[in-house]
Amino acid sequence: MPTSSAVISARNLSKTFRGGVVAVSGLDLEVPAGSVYGLIGRNGAGKTTTLRLLMGLLRPDSGEARVLGADLWQAPREIRQRVGYVSQSQRLPGWMTLDELCRSNACFYGRWDEALAHRLARRWELSRKRPIAHLSGGEQRQAAILLALAAQPEVLFLDEPAAGLDPIARRALLAGLVDCLTQESGCTIMFSTHHIGDLERIGDRIGMMDRGRIVKSLRLDEWLDRVRRVQVVFNTDTVPHGFTIPAARRIRIEGPVATAVVELANEDQLTPLRSIPGARVNVFPMNLEEIFIEWFEQTEEPASSLQPQPEIAFVS
Amino acid sequence: MARNFHFQIDPHSGVPVYRQLMDQIKYYVASGALASGDQLPSIRELAQSLAVNPTTIVKAYNELVHENVIELRQGKGAFVAPQSTELSFAEREKALRRLARQLAVEATQMGADSNRVIEIVDEELTAVAGERGEPNLRAKLRVVGRKG
Repeated sequence: MPTSSAVISARNLSKTFRGGVVAVSGLDLEVPAGSVYGLIGRNGAGKTTTLRLLMGLLRPDSGEARVLGADLWQAPREIRQRVGYVSQSQRLPGWMTLDELCRSNACFYGRWDEALAHRLARRWELSRKRPIAHLSGGEQRQAAILLALAAQPEVLFLDEPAAGLDPIARRALLAGLVDCLTQESGCTIMFSTHHIGDLERIGDRIGMMDRGRIVKSLRLDEWLDRVRRVQVVFNTDTVPHGFTIPAARRIRIEGPVATAVVELANEDQLTPLRSIPGARVNVFPMNLEEIFIEWFEQTEEPASSLQPQPEIAFVS
Repeated sequence: MARNFHFQIDPHSGVPVYRQLMDQIKYYVASGALASGDQLPSIRELAQSLAVNPTTIVKAYNELVHENVIELRQGKGAFVAPQSTELSFAEREKALRRLARQLAVEATQMGADSNRVIEIVDEELTAVAGERGEPNLRAKLRVVGRKG
């Protein structure tokens, strides 16, 4: 059951497109109110389809998606106007100016904040008087995000919001999102991204998607606190036969060095390794990008360099 | 007021952002750049200037309150706490022991000479003492304007 504080939830959500392309398959998800949830995954993992299903723009084959307690596919306008969405390929009418778009959007959104729209336009250096078609691709994207933010949504879905933005514009975009988060009414944001550094800045939860499913969903800070690259270096030519690093997902062995990614509950877990005579133990922090690569690269590794490890607890 | 303090976040370091922030505030306090009673930036200000999630700042501040580094005053904001000579002797010993252990383990792994390790610790202690006594340090650590 979704907890009462979950403003976005999905249960067993599935969608297969014509031609048999399985985009989303048995996806479960829960996003608590006020969080910033980042979806990461390789191209084709199903991120966009997931967002579109949650937005009610696509109908699932099975399962259910709920936002603010409603199925947006059939929810009334009162609910839908509390939800914002900027797609990857959003097209604004090129002949209209940002000012004109703001005026027309203000009619549809009860919580429209004109002052916020002006503030963001100034901060993002966006012209409000020029036709949208005369803005650069990045600026058009910012304009679309501005329109979504100024409606003061309670829930905001962004599909690759930073795609095509230069570093300065990306930073300004993040600051705009933080603005949205600090507003009194609060906001829950779910976005997909390949900019993992951005996610580390403003995300508090992440979901890793792979083949239509969320394979890992967790609090970012807890994870970064726990996941470590552990390296055991033996003073012999090779790693002793049968050696394992407890609780590792897998071990990579090269000569006298065994390396593994480990979720450490606490440092004591390493004591048995540290007490192996003639071996030294190095522990390195990992950033999200490294974890991401480690996770998704594993299927491409040659089998010979891998020793499958049970994903279970530590046996001391 | 510590409004113009420069905090630097490296999202690629693998260290959670709230921890990076905690470490920097602790460093400023330890070095004397932030003194008891100094006010820290508000959560909103800091979130916006660093472009990080406000809940991250809340988490960092809460942990620092828990560790008696700062205190929150109702409706006024976050302030550097009166500096704790109150940290009990036993607690301090325990904390120092843990840090020393970590240093010892890593230095041994690097194959460092133990006398050299002690020399370096001594140098660092002298440097920190110097920093605390140096009146210009506060000015040095303050950066005019913020990076947007």
